[in-house]
Amino acid sequence: MAHQNPSERSVQELYRDDPERADALVWGRRGALQGAALAAMGAALGGSIPFARNMPSGLVPAALAQGANQPQFLQMEGKAPLILQGERPLNAETPEHLLDDPVTPADKFFIRNNGSVPDTVADARAWKIRIDGEVNTPLELTIAELEQRFEIVTRKLQMECGGNGRSGFSPQAAGNQWGNGAISNAEWTGVRLHDVLRAAGVKDGAKFTGQHGADSHLSAQGPAISRGMRIEKAMDEDTLICFRMNGAAIPQMHGAPARLVVPGWPGSLSQKWFTRLEVLNKPHTGRGMGGTSYRIPVRPIVPGSRNNGADFVDMESMPVRSVLSSHAHGTRLPAGTRSLDIRGHAWAGDLSVRDVHVSTDFGQSWQAMQVAAPPNRHAWQRWQGRIALPSDGYYEIWYRATDSNGRMQPHVAANWNPQGYGANPISRVAILIG
Amino acid sequence: MRLLPYAAVVVLLCASATIAQTPDLAQRQAEAAAALAERQEEETVLAEGEGRSEVFGYCTACHNTALIRRSAFTRERWDELMDWMAEKHGMNPLEGEFRDTIVDYLARHYGPLTRGPRGGNPFLN
Repeated sequence: MAHQNPSERSVQELYRDDPERADALVWGRRGALQGAALAAMGAALGGSIPFARNMPSGLVPAALAQGANQPQFLQMEGKAPLILQGERPLNAETPEHLLDDPVTPADKFFIRNNGSVPDTVADARAWKIRIDGEVNTPLELTIAELEQRFEIVTRKLQMECGGNGRSGFSPQAAGNQWGNGAISNAEWTGVRLHDVLRAAGVKDGAKFTGQHGADSHLSAQGPAISRGMRIEKAMDEDTLICFRMNGAAIPQMHGAPARLVVPGWPGSLSQKWFTRLEVLNKPHTGRGMGGTSYRIPVRPIVPGSRNNGADFVDMESMPVRSVLSSHAHGTRLPAGTRSLDIRGHAWAGDLSVRDVHVSTDFGQSWQAMQVAAPPNRHAWQRWQGRIALPSDGYYEIWYRATDSNGRMQPHVAANWNPQGYGANPISRVAILIG
Repeated sequence: MRLLPYAAVVVLLCASATIAQTPDLAQRQAEAAAALAERQEEETVLAEGEGRSEVFGYCTACHNTALIRRSAFTRERWDELMDWMAEKHGMNPLEGEFRDTIVDYLARHYGPLTRGPRGGNPFLN
């Protein structure tokens, strides 16, 4: 906050303390990085900037775009060093370069809690799940009974926090400041919610669901969260009541012994420690419904403005997004490296991904990557390709996915909202050659 | 020739050992999560200033300071969040001078990082 003369600080310090002001000073009015400023920027980044001419003003170089506080990492048995977002509630994000496995292993699965993690149960197979509300025959079934009575299916399903990408919003939106790492693609085993609802007999007036779990609010007053969805999504063949993840018992952090999995929609619908689903004839009113929670504006609002969300709509299918998993942000490569094989994953809620493009010249030119078909609907897709690097120096790899309807990730986070849902701007990874 | 069946037995034993350990790991993870949640924080983790004790005492009844420290909001947004926590998360409503103390502290020490090179959004001024 001190008003020092900028020349007394290094470019790196300036960027660390006040990135936007540093950007304005370094770039100047004409938005061209020249002379001493270019040299200073190169020095701060540790190399020359081959595409400096194309670097747009107003975008902080990716290598410097971290806040003054360095991230802290989770230390927990059975979990990789995830980026710690907070301890109470416990939330942790998977760094993008740890999302390289086609099927996300348990240790690299991001952690999202709204409340407290419940204690474990002694007999998982006796865990009961209740289906009631607008049904002809309310059901209460143990996991053992579910397994016995309904077809067991195994699917690779993406599950993503509704707030993934939130840190892209400006001004800052409330909530965990996720990068792109609140995403997973595990292999889930369970029964179709659709089959269970059929057995209960859904009444004609059924329109929505309300989900319930065993985790309690941090204040110890009531449930941590209770969300619901349109009945159509509940009847989707990929919406499952799961009791196994990657062929093993579901880890405690991820909702043991039973979890609802609602792929492609905000992860909060995938109720952990799942105990009950109500069928309703009107929208659910549980904690996490209504207002600005998991809701987005229909008519765009001024970023930073006050809004109670009364005319927002529930966020449903998540927007298209991609991660680059082959190289960590900040990777340094040997001098003389002139090409690089890169890869990652891309997904698009209920849709699929048509294209992934990559730029190494700050968006001036884009190169198509190869994109594999998903192994099943609602699974993420592998993308890969080779990029050329014309000289040593500092590069940013920009990567952008396009969904099956032709919608691309935008250059900046769009449709700002107070709690920060739906930010899916193009991502950037900084690398240094030499 | 006898090695193959032995190998199969070893694989099976390993597999069952892995499964048998799962409940223990689950228990240890639940305990680790509880320990993280209960990790004591010092008030000094927050920026020094008038109202720090009040903020630390009131807010950490529910959540730890990570939620505060990662935030960068205007006074109006902080004020709005007080209502949101009361309405949605069962916080005792904050009113009067005490509310001002809390919101003023948060806005002063955890305010927007910058107004941007063009002075912020023209529609908010």
